[in-house]
Amino acid sequence: MVLEHEILPYFQWLWSGGAGSIGALPRFLLVALGLGLLGLMLGYVIAAARHGLLRGGDIVYRTITNGVRELFETSPRRVMALAGLAMKEAWRRRVVVALVVFFIILIFASWFLKKNHQDPAKLYISFVLTATTYLVLGIALLLSAFSLPNDFKTKTIYTIVTKPVRLGEIVLGRILGFTAVGTILLAIMGVCSYVFVNRSLDHTHGIDEVSLKNVTDADGANIGKDGRTTLENYHRHDVELDTNGDGFALGNFGHTHKIVQRGGKGMVLGADGIMRARVPQWGKLTFLDRQGVPKERGISVGSEWTYRSFVDGSTQATAIWTFDKISEALNSEEEGGLPIGLIVRVFRTHKGTIGKAITGSIQVRNPETGLTSDLIPFAALDAKIDERAIPRKLTGTDNSELDLYKDLVSSNGQLEIRVQCLERGQYFGFAQPDMYIRMRDASPMVNYVKVCLSIWVQMVIVIAIGVAASTLLSGPVAMLFTVSFIVLGFFRPFFVDVAQGPQYGGGPIESFYRLITQMNMISALEDSAVTRLIKGVDWVYESLMLSLAQVLPDFSKLSTVDFAAYGFNVPADLVFQNLTMCLAYVVGMSILGYFLFRTREVAR
Amino acid sequence: MSEDIVIQTRALSKVYRDFWGRQKVRALKPLDLEIQRGEVFGLLGPNGSGKTTTIKLILGLLFPTEGEAIVFGKRSTDVSKNERIGYLPEESYLYRFLNAEETLDFYGRLFDMPAETRRERVDALIKMVGLDKARKRQLQEYSKGMTRRIGLAQALINDPELILLDEPTSGLDPIGTREMKDMILRLKGEGKTVVMCSHLLADVQDVCDRIAILHQGELKELGRVDTLLTVADVTQIRARNLSPECQTEIRDCISRHQGELIEMDNPSTTLEELFLSIVRDSEARPGRRANVEPVTSDT
Repeated sequence: MVLEHEILPYFQWLWSGGAGSIGALPRFLLVALGLGLLGLMLGYVIAAARHGLLRGGDIVYRTITNGVRELFETSPRRVMALAGLAMKEAWRRRVVVALVVFFIILIFASWFLKKNHQDPAKLYISFVLTATTYLVLGIALLLSAFSLPNDFKTKTIYTIVTKPVRLGEIVLGRILGFTAVGTILLAIMGVCSYVFVNRSLDHTHGIDEVSLKNVTDADGANIGKDGRTTLENYHRHDVELDTNGDGFALGNFGHTHKIVQRGGKGMVLGADGIMRARVPQWGKLTFLDRQGVPKERGISVGSEWTYRSFVDGSTQATAIWTFDKISEALNSEEEGGLPIGLIVRVFRTHKGTIGKAITGSIQVRNPETGLTSDLIPFAALDAKIDERAIPRKLTGTDNSELDLYKDLVSSNGQLEIRVQCLERGQYFGFAQPDMYIRMRDASPMVNYVKVCLSIWVQMVIVIAIGVAASTLLSGPVAMLFTVSFIVLGFFRPFFVDVAQGPQYGGGPIESFYRLITQMNMISALEDSAVTRLIKGVDWVYESLMLSLAQVLPDFSKLSTVDFAAYGFNVPADLVFQNLTMCLAYVVGMSILGYFLFRTREVAR
Repeated sequence: MSEDIVIQTRALSKVYRDFWGRQKVRALKPLDLEIQRGEVFGLLGPNGSGKTTTIKLILGLLFPTEGEAIVFGKRSTDVSKNERIGYLPEESYLYRFLNAEETLDFYGRLFDMPAETRRERVDALIKMVGLDKARKRQLQEYSKGMTRRIGLAQALINDPELILLDEPTSGLDPIGTREMKDMILRLKGEGKTVVMCSHLLADVQDVCDRIAILHQGELKELGRVDTLLTVADVTQIRARNLSPECQTEIRDCISRHQGELIEMDNPSTTLEELFLSIVRDSEARPGRRANVEPVTSDT
């Protein structure tokens, strides 16, 4: 699974943030302060232009003091009444159509979703959750952007604002009402999609009796049978049976089957682990280059996406993960050691034998004493999650016997795991989350609910933005505004990159200048008044983009669909971060909506 | 401001501007008004004279260009004044997917009324406006008159001290019009202040204590209805059962005193009175009306 940003512990994220950034709360306060001052200045300029300097100041002062007073006069009963009205309005506007569309998608989805995919669960989960996300966001957008403008159009707003209703209550009531409707829709979609994925992928196999062969131990005693299952859903499993005939169909295609004896024959039960919620404990990744010199990153193999960097085969190049808090408590008796997960991107400079894995090695090292285990070879298949265990009993580089927890874990609980590629001319690519200590799996159902919660968070943010925009803008314009927010939000990292990253060809004005003068992107512009002006305008433009980026919701970060699709547990820290972001947007947009509403004459 | 003054406007004016701030129309020229507690006040004028603009400015639905409107001692933009106000807009702008009960319950909740009070109030108002049998029907199924009545009920949900009625008889049949006027007089009897605007002069004359006449956004006349309508140099005598001889004697008497007899004949009733008497009669005795009898003053 790709995890481009480290998930910080909640309180660190909230107060201090990660390296090179500030905490979410100080950032929120700074942005709120900046926007507040900007709004104040803008409000005063407009009021002063219309009513004169003194009266303009009086209007701005009264708007702010009234706003603060009305905040304390907010009545839950009125808010709930308005929320109830928004819900009734939403049902009247046939939001259930979204459910019909969703069911149609589910009905026909199985025509297009292939079960012969390497990891069908990933395909199915990714599809249904993405469809749910887009449908729910679409409904949230339509409801929130058109509701208030429709009230203005039909003038029903007259009978609301002539009651002792605070404008903030109207904004909040709308947000809560549409959130309630969206929550009901999302809950139905979530339950249906969960059942759909499980029912679609559940299957069983028979045992291919011809393939079964006896397995004997070193003394020649029969200890069971090996074989394989019949072909179902485009795949078959290897089978291991004990002497009683019980056993497992092993974990290919992301799941296993239990095999039990029924009526003297082996019976393969339903699939286990189609949906998983692996709980990883991530470490810190550093590299050694081909000469064994420590580096922060491996080498680039020319890929534009710099998420992973590579170690070259049959050199000293090594990827080193350092894990904290390693203790015997993590040991798995079943697997006979420390369970880990490893994802390797294999980059081949020559194709070798097609389908044959590239050999790599794992070494375990005590970062305190330098004691290192001997190489543990493994076969790396590109992008597959390799779940294995580091054996508790290991051999050292000097052939001494080592205990993983006693000898290789430092006194402060640290452990280094080093991975190398052993084949010349081949490369292994890694990012920090590509190796993890596997904790006990969490409940897939609870994990699914957490993913739905992240969709809910996105929905609430869209509703809050839509309602705030609709207090001032007409329905279609409010919708366009909200859509712009969503689109920019989905591509926020790119947007920020454009604003502050290195750019070939300069900003928009410089690029345009280069286009019309047929100048390439690399050559420096000549130094003249015109080019200085162009660069100046671009600087202003980029500054505006950066400012806008501060209030854009990062939907790519908010979405946790990939966690469920790749079978990883959504960390609680991320859930709380998303919920906090949601709260911040609801608060911020309610305040913005209130003041925009106040500037508007209801009867115009 | 005196306790008895419910609404006060000071040089209240409104200019509508376009997006660029250019003046489009001056809807209301500086208006100074004081409306006393317990009176029925009428804003009169032809279409586009500024009546509705004045009401909207008083309610805070529009912002004044100059001057201010004070309601119960508070600025018109202060929402807390709405606790004591009921407003019936020109057309009943209500949520058509709600039924009568839901509508009134919703507006009751906006006044933060407890559930029990709301229930009682909703029930009483639905009966008062005669919609008991249609209380569960969605408003989209209502006729215009019924919509108007539920609109009035929502304006009274909070038992307001000040009721603003914009064209209250608009869209009502004669019976509805009469009921509306009776309702206004009943509210006055309960000590409430009513401000209504209308271009139907007869309605205003029937119920208003004082009127303001607006034209092209400007106040043209302000005063008590009876004072404004009194013709000082004409004396009106109304009598019943006078014989022709007696009528001749009265004519002679006027002549002896150098008076000018302008008119002396049998008065006609209003069409409204005639219509109402027919409907009342029809309700009492269903079927075709037998014959048309001359109207008497007892009718």
